[in-house]
Amino acid sequence: MADEHVPNQQPAPASGTPAGQAGFRQQTGSGGARPQGGRPGAPPRRGKRSFVRKRKVCRFCVDKSDFIDYKKAEILAPFLQERGKILPRRMTGTCARHQRWLTVAIKRAQNIALLPFSADL
Amino acid sequence: MEERQYDLIFICRPDTPEAEIDKIIATVEHAATEKGGKVETTEKWGRRRMAYVVKRLREGYYVYMVVRSTHSEVIKELERRLKVSDAVIKYLTVRLDEELKRQAKLKRHRERRAAKRPRKPAAAPAGGEQASATA
Repeated sequence: MADEHVPNQQPAPASGTPAGQAGFRQQTGSGGARPQGGRPGAPPRRGKRSFVRKRKVCRFCVDKSDFIDYKKAEILAPFLQERGKILPRRMTGTCARHQRWLTVAIKRAQNIALLPFSADL
Repeated sequence: MEERQYDLIFICRPDTPEAEIDKIIATVEHAATEKGGKVETTEKWGRRRMAYVVKRLREGYYVYMVVRSTHSEVIKELERRLKVSDAVIKYLTVRLDEELKRQAKLKRHRERRAAKRPRKPAAAPAGGEQASATA
């Protein structure tokens, strides 16, 4: 379960796709299930699962934020799925460092009932 | 001894009267000061909808405080009092001083880096930073 958060230590912070390592992603379980019809397609050489998403930049890097405040649920809410799961970096384009901070902030906010742990469908 | 900073958020039952909430805040402040801490800010966020049901309630009265102290036991005492209180249904303490130190360090690095680079003169963000070696 920790694999998902193992940072893909790419030197380029703007790259939203660490998904080169096919072996890495085995337990996201989301490759086929993601209904991402709207996203720009994968580069042709890949298999089923890489979404390049036009090199989306990390919005926290753009803002140069040093601190992701767990008290601001409105900032954090877009990073959760409808079911309450935290979105992976390749979906949001966040850089590794900010994704770690984001996770911490989201979990704190969940503990204080500012964000849901899970939303029943 | 370093002074530590903590964020404390607690949620009261939504039907608690204002006086009761003030009493709880006073208890917290009292507990903090008697252990040598001080309460820096207190914010009442008021009634808010919670993201999930807590103690069979959907709404809660949120209060946010910032506590500084040099002793760590003050937090234990605060939490104990909150736990005991019937009106408080949830609380969370976050230690923030390391976080703030890191933030300050990052900011300094950034400003220093920006000062070294030839930035546009109109938008010099690092004007105040005197630490750059050369300009």
